[in-house]
Amino acid sequence: MKKIVAPGEVVTEQRKKMGDNVYSLNGKIYSEVIGITDNESTMASVVALKGFYMPKQNDIVIGLVVSELFSGFLVDIGAFHWSFMSKEGIREPLKRGSVVSVKVLRVNELNEADLAEPRVFYGGEIEKISPVKVPRMIGKNGSMLEVLRRGTNCNLIIGRNGRIWAKGGNTELLFKAIKIIEEEAHLPNLTNKVTEFLSKQKR
Amino acid sequence: MKKEEKKEYVNKKGLRLDGRKVDETRPIKITAGVLKNAKGSCYLEWGINKVLVSVQGPREVLPKHMANPLKAIVKFTYRMAAFSVPDRKNPRPGRRDIEISKVCGEALEKAILLEKYPNTQIEVWAQVLDSNAGSRVAVLTAASVALADAGIPMKDLVTAVAVGRADGKIIVDLNKEEEDAPDAVDMPIAMMTNSQEIVLLQMDGLFSKKEWEEAYEMSLKALEDVKKHQINALKQQFKEPIETKTTEKKEDNQVFSKSLSKNSPSDETKKEKHSSEKKVVKTEEKEIKSEVQ
Repeated sequence: MKKIVAPGEVVTEQRKKMGDNVYSLNGKIYSEVIGITDNESTMASVVALKGFYMPKQNDIVIGLVVSELFSGFLVDIGAFHWSFMSKEGIREPLKRGSVVSVKVLRVNELNEADLAEPRVFYGGEIEKISPVKVPRMIGKNGSMLEVLRRGTNCNLIIGRNGRIWAKGGNTELLFKAIKIIEEEAHLPNLTNKVTEFLSKQKR
Repeated sequence: MKKEEKKEYVNKKGLRLDGRKVDETRPIKITAGVLKNAKGSCYLEWGINKVLVSVQGPREVLPKHMANPLKAIVKFTYRMAAFSVPDRKNPRPGRRDIEISKVCGEALEKAILLEKYPNTQIEVWAQVLDSNAGSRVAVLTAASVALADAGIPMKDLVTAVAVGRADGKIIVDLNKEEEDAPDAVDMPIAMMTNSQEIVLLQMDGLFSKKEWEEAYEMSLKALEDVKKHQINALKQQFKEPIETKTTEKKEDNQVFSKSLSKNSPSDETKKEKHSSEKKVVKTEEKEIKSEVQ
């Protein structure tokens, strides 16, 4: 059975392997954040409902070039600090204000990220969602992403940092669907609900 | 000249000036996530006290020399609005504002898992809009809800309450009138209730050892009550909690399985309790019979 837990609430009193967002105290496992836990799972973990983006290696994120240096660029990817991207091997014509999708090359112990492989976006729109809801936006094996693409005919890229770039198709409808996903990310049967919503709107 | 009547802070029925029992807190109302532009926020009404708290971060530390490469730092700002007290309060931060900012920030530092976010700062702004004694406990309670709302990992919610003495009686959550009693003692206490770790303890006045023990016991009860309000406020943001949905589904399944097992005697006793379930089972039985015929 799934339930919502607040920080400091007991996740389980049984001996279980500890997953994300939990800590143990006096033989009990407690939650660190507000999120959802599954009692029936063999692992005690909490899926956060609120949070922010922590860069990880190999993440594809959407960022904004904020400054140009002698040897590279500073890119705002929504992490704690601006990230550095070296000019080495970059062919794209980047300048201050460019919107790019980039790959996180490495992250150090202070959560500072180095970036590489930029792709510049020309035109399109950007919508922000909570980074903890990105997995729901993509769905299992990209099922939700496929539903959104088919339903709205949009060219769509979702960054791990919660920024979504969309171009072409019905972007207005797409952003409505995204809002539904964001509001109901913790509820089951979301893919069906979004499919239904998109098919209704299309008519 | 007439002599002023002596106030009876706790009457013979055990009720206080505002009709509360000695161990009863003022009505509490907490709403989380009220500000869209802040990472986390909370609005709290505790009796007449009205408090608005917002949280930003973790983000880059400014000025940079304050950054700690081993953990995040907490910047807590407590301010009282000019209109929060009967006379106008000078909006310039005074000695009291600075002191409360310091102690509340240090209390929250104990709960937040700061080691996860080195070289960053977490900013908490608390604005007291209306005050009537106990504003620091109100601010601290609201701040921990706002931090949880921002998704910042914490060991536990920091819960705070004031206990004290008025006219020789130990009481919980003093209001302004009780705080001004001739023998008043006011003791705000903040705690992480899971580990019973005290993160803030101040005292205005003096308790005897016996009084202290009584006050501490009463505060533990009140803290549990306040914590329930905090947790409810956090959970209320999410519509249709999953817990109820899954239980409903399970109940439906149980009803269906009952209808198939042709009413064992133990089932009948259960049915008496739930008359609504009984009707469903009966209709399903009829359907099955009709199918058999």
